[in-house]
Amino acid sequence: MSVAASEAQQTPPEQKKGFELPGWAEKILIPAIVLLIAIVLPLIPSIGENAALMQQMAVALAYVVMALGLNIIVGFAGLLDLGYVAFFAFGAFAVGWFASGHFAYVNNEQGIHLLVGGNTVNLPGIHFNFLIVLVIAVILTTIAGMIIGLPTLRLRGDYIAIVTLAFGEIIGRLAVNLDGTTILGGTPVTAGRQGISPVDRIDLPFLDPFTVLDKKPWFYFALFLVVLVLFVNFRLRDSRMGRAWVALREDEIAAVAMGVPAVKTKLMAYGAGAAFGGLSGAYLASLLNTVNADQFQFSFSILVLAMVILGGLGSIWGVVIGAIVLSILNNWLIPDVINDLPSNVGLEFDMTQITFAIYGFLLLLMMILRPQGLLPERRHQMELTEHAETTDETLYTARS
Amino acid sequence: MEAASIPAGPPASQRVKQLIGTYGLTAVLLIMPVWFAIQDLTDEGNLVRLGENLVAGLSNGAIWALVAIGYTLVYGIVELINFAHGEIFMIGSFISASLIVTLGLTVDSAAVPVFFGLLAALLLAMIGSGTLNVLIERVAYRPLRSAPKLAPLITAVGMSFILQNVGLLWKGGNQQGVPDLLNAQNTLFTVFGVTIENADVLSVVVTIPLLIVMTSFINRSRLGKAMRATAQDPEAARLMGINVDTTISLTFLLGGMLAGAAGLIYAMYQTTIWFFQGFTGGLIAFTAAVMGGIGNLRGAVLGGLIIGFIQQMSDNRIGTEWTPAIVFGYLVLIMVFKPSGLLGEQTRDAG
Amino acid sequence: MRSKYMAATSCLLAALALGVAACGDEEEPTPGGEGNEQTAEGKDLTIYSSLPLQGASRVQTEALVNGAKLALEQAGGKAGPHRVKYESLDDSTAQAGSWTPEAESANALKAAQDEATAVYIGAFNSGASKVSIPILSEAGVPQISPANTYVGLTTNDPGSEPGEPDKYYPTGDRTFARIVPKDTIQAAALVTLMKTDGCTKVAMTNDKEVYGAGLARVIELSAKEQGLELTSNDAIDKNASNYRSLAQKAKAAGADCFVYSGITANNAVQQFKDFAAALGSDAGLYGPDGVAETGFVSEKDGGIPASLNPQVKVTVATLSPDQYPPEGQEFFKQFTEKYGVDNPDPYAIYGYEAMKLALDAIERSGTGEKADIKKAIFETKDRASVLGTYSIDENGDTTLTDYGAYSVKDGELTFDQTIKAQAG
Repeated sequence: MSVAASEAQQTPPEQKKGFELPGWAEKILIPAIVLLIAIVLPLIPSIGENAALMQQMAVALAYVVMALGLNIIVGFAGLLDLGYVAFFAFGAFAVGWFASGHFAYVNNEQGIHLLVGGNTVNLPGIHFNFLIVLVIAVILTTIAGMIIGLPTLRLRGDYIAIVTLAFGEIIGRLAVNLDGTTILGGTPVTAGRQGISPVDRIDLPFLDPFTVLDKKPWFYFALFLVVLVLFVNFRLRDSRMGRAWVALREDEIAAVAMGVPAVKTKLMAYGAGAAFGGLSGAYLASLLNTVNADQFQFSFSILVLAMVILGGLGSIWGVVIGAIVLSILNNWLIPDVINDLPSNVGLEFDMTQITFAIYGFLLLLMMILRPQGLLPERRHQMELTEHAETTDETLYTARS
Repeated sequence: MEAASIPAGPPASQRVKQLIGTYGLTAVLLIMPVWFAIQDLTDEGNLVRLGENLVAGLSNGAIWALVAIGYTLVYGIVELINFAHGEIFMIGSFISASLIVTLGLTVDSAAVPVFFGLLAALLLAMIGSGTLNVLIERVAYRPLRSAPKLAPLITAVGMSFILQNVGLLWKGGNQQGVPDLLNAQNTLFTVFGVTIENADVLSVVVTIPLLIVMTSFINRSRLGKAMRATAQDPEAARLMGINVDTTISLTFLLGGMLAGAAGLIYAMYQTTIWFFQGFTGGLIAFTAAVMGGIGNLRGAVLGGLIIGFIQQMSDNRIGTEWTPAIVFGYLVLIMVFKPSGLLGEQTRDAG
Repeated sequence: MRSKYMAATSCLLAALALGVAACGDEEEPTPGGEGNEQTAEGKDLTIYSSLPLQGASRVQTEALVNGAKLALEQAGGKAGPHRVKYESLDDSTAQAGSWTPEAESANALKAAQDEATAVYIGAFNSGASKVSIPILSEAGVPQISPANTYVGLTTNDPGSEPGEPDKYYPTGDRTFARIVPKDTIQAAALVTLMKTDGCTKVAMTNDKEVYGAGLARVIELSAKEQGLELTSNDAIDKNASNYRSLAQKAKAAGADCFVYSGITANNAVQQFKDFAAALGSDAGLYGPDGVAETGFVSEKDGGIPASLNPQVKVTVATLSPDQYPPEGQEFFKQFTEKYGVDNPDPYAIYGYEAMKLALDAIERSGTGEKADIKKAIFETKDRASVLGTYSIDENGDTTLTDYGAYSVKDGELTFDQTIKAQAG
């Protein structure tokens, strides 16, 4: 209720609190401080030189990009997508196909090279500059997103969820099974569970190629992606399109009656959300040096969705936090802290046998403690409180 | 009613659309069976192979149908995709398998102890799974009733991880063989060259009475009426004096019991159980529920049977590694032609 | 509005702070302090293993870890003058339930940066080794895989992809060795076994994983070479509830034997039951070392039913127990005592031998330096072990070629005969 109240007072902002920061401070100053900390952190030797840690932080940032992408589809436009892993797969395969030795037989085993330097020019396979690959990944995933979006246009609610889930599973299956179908002179389309590996490392103009053991440049590149995606996200949210998404989410019939083009708006949501997934997928493939079909499973879609919901549906900063929290939980808290607990207190108990349950329990706990997400979006929050007033403790709110 | 001023018929494009709307779905559903029937007839001159697929498909599908009903019931009343439901089904299998082993029943046991043993296992699995489902609702979903719609989805996922871990600790990571009490793959009789095995009979014999009891309970009894009322409009139902909490618990109980029964049939039919079976089984059953029109009981059964049939055809002719992709491909096609599922009604959400 | 951003910032800061804390914790075991303790006699070294401890592979990896632990225990935590500590890392996450490239490369990076690292045992999946080899090769950390059979990791023999194996070693420094024979050798052994047993038409399934699919591919090649007809090579979906339709297909094709190329956890038991039911009680059923374990052969542990026992045969690189050297006998005794398993499954033996070889190499290196340990591993000659006597060649491959054929009696693997497979 108090939130709804502050919402009402929001129009004249300077009215009530003396020390309220001006709008530019909120939008620029605080993000700038956070960004500054993120930039400075790796300069501390104990952090920057710890490659395993730097890599995990880079992975966490890549997850932030993914979660922000899914947030456009689920949070802004209200289309429940359970097959987000498909875009991860397309982004990763953009790297696997266009920046690795996978298609070793093209061009008489001489390879095709585009704006790459160093030793790479001598390798067989297709090798494009990483920036070009990023563009390819974005185009590929945007198209994929729209194609996957098409059959869901007439669907509502959870029917969308199952169709996107179906697409995610189909793409995952293709990634596993197409290792038997050969193209371009005898190379299989995907390498299945074998994995396409190694893939080219990021090689930016004017900079030294990124290396295996120094993860600082990788981290900064991920940070750059996050900033870029955040910027686009804010611009999108506050644009005409962003308002159209919210309008569709809140009440499709009314929105269409008011002249919001439903088809275009929904496809834009799928396309934009997918593009971020592709961007992040391509980056992850290069960082982790492999494109393996084992990565593209349903559980990954659920992980990204959990980041979005845990952070707060539709809330950009919330989703950022949700992604970071779940990354920490998965890649550090459980394997490095909880698993070591028994041996630290001198017990002979193998924690790894109950890790599943710990992970499940933590998800459960977080959701019960903060059902609206860690940092809920204002509009969602408003809707919540309204409901709480009118229908007190009855059923699930439905109608998202 | 047809006033002269209204143009005679819909334009041609509209008519094509209508045609696709009416017959497109049927055509899609029939593509595979008809294609394979033609193939069989030209290659072998009879339909035995397709018949075998159909029998295996229906008996496998019956198991999915039982699980799918749980999804549909829960969805109909609280609009929640209960991701933990597959794990309830898995726990049902584990309970019955453990009981059978505890009772000391083996392949060589006589018919009478086997019958009563199975009956006991069925009851215990149903009670166990049902109770577990109710508990899950209390712990993981009820506190989130007033939360955003997607919040319980995550607790459901969390719950399913926990239950998987329980299964893992209980029976280990490998698939576990279960004593083949019924000699599942023994040919019982043949009809037109199609062999009917013990397992096929078991799955049909247990499933059909359960389905009849369930539908008549929901259609006839007071509690069933309360369930339907709550599904239609929880607010109005509450005003009419229906205890919504109890009704929801009851729904979870029924869904869990059916999943438990499915668990027993699965264990006896496949004679192998696995802590991860609930994940795949749940996904398939959920697909079945959606295919049939989520919220619709008959739809869930129909969806389960169709998926069972598709799976067997694909296993037999295309390759098991493609089966999940084909099932999901079918689902997408059905959704394109009939967005609310085969027997879909207007649920609150879709309306 | 304001509170929202404040919260965002503070949360983000907290998250980052946690990250710092993380690094603080992780720093502790690394160089500095422990390095200084080094005395004239020896160093404190760490052997890492990186295996997927979650999900379906857990059964095998748990056995591997137990085997490795036992080997270290037998050696009293020492290799020559050096004190050795074992740390088991997990390259899977609870969320994925299988290995992830994130976890595998983080583990490899951790080992690469730890000055005390002596040997890295892993990975379990060949796909994961493709991720860790380049990192460890760059850092010069010796690696011993107890489970990778994929040909292309070490050689460019048939079955590998173009550019392999050199593309995994960007610096040209070969650091990867394995104690399991390449796919080719076991495939030849299996085919020989089926031929001598009188199979004429064989239906094959594979579990679609790197191990199973790779082995199936070379079984195909080997069957062609030795003149055995394969009616099919079907990749299976491990999550399928049964394989009856598939088995019916094999029966229709006239198969009289069945071979499964994969591991137990990918629904092996169900496949053997369904194929036995379809092909009849005369049909021979064969499996590779991936199913040579109690969980597969013993009915009371959830394996195949006793009625199938006479039909099943399994090939394993381990020899008949009476041919083991004394320390191997000791291993069996102690493993049974410690873990209460009558018949340690092959992965326990591989885990044991991987650790043994690592300790042996550390001892032979003298200095305990990574480069010397690596050299010692590659110079392994005629090592008498639980797996038989083998050497490590210049590619890092084991020279083992003998396979044991095991039959199943009363739910236990029983040694049947030795098969000499032609290496190739």
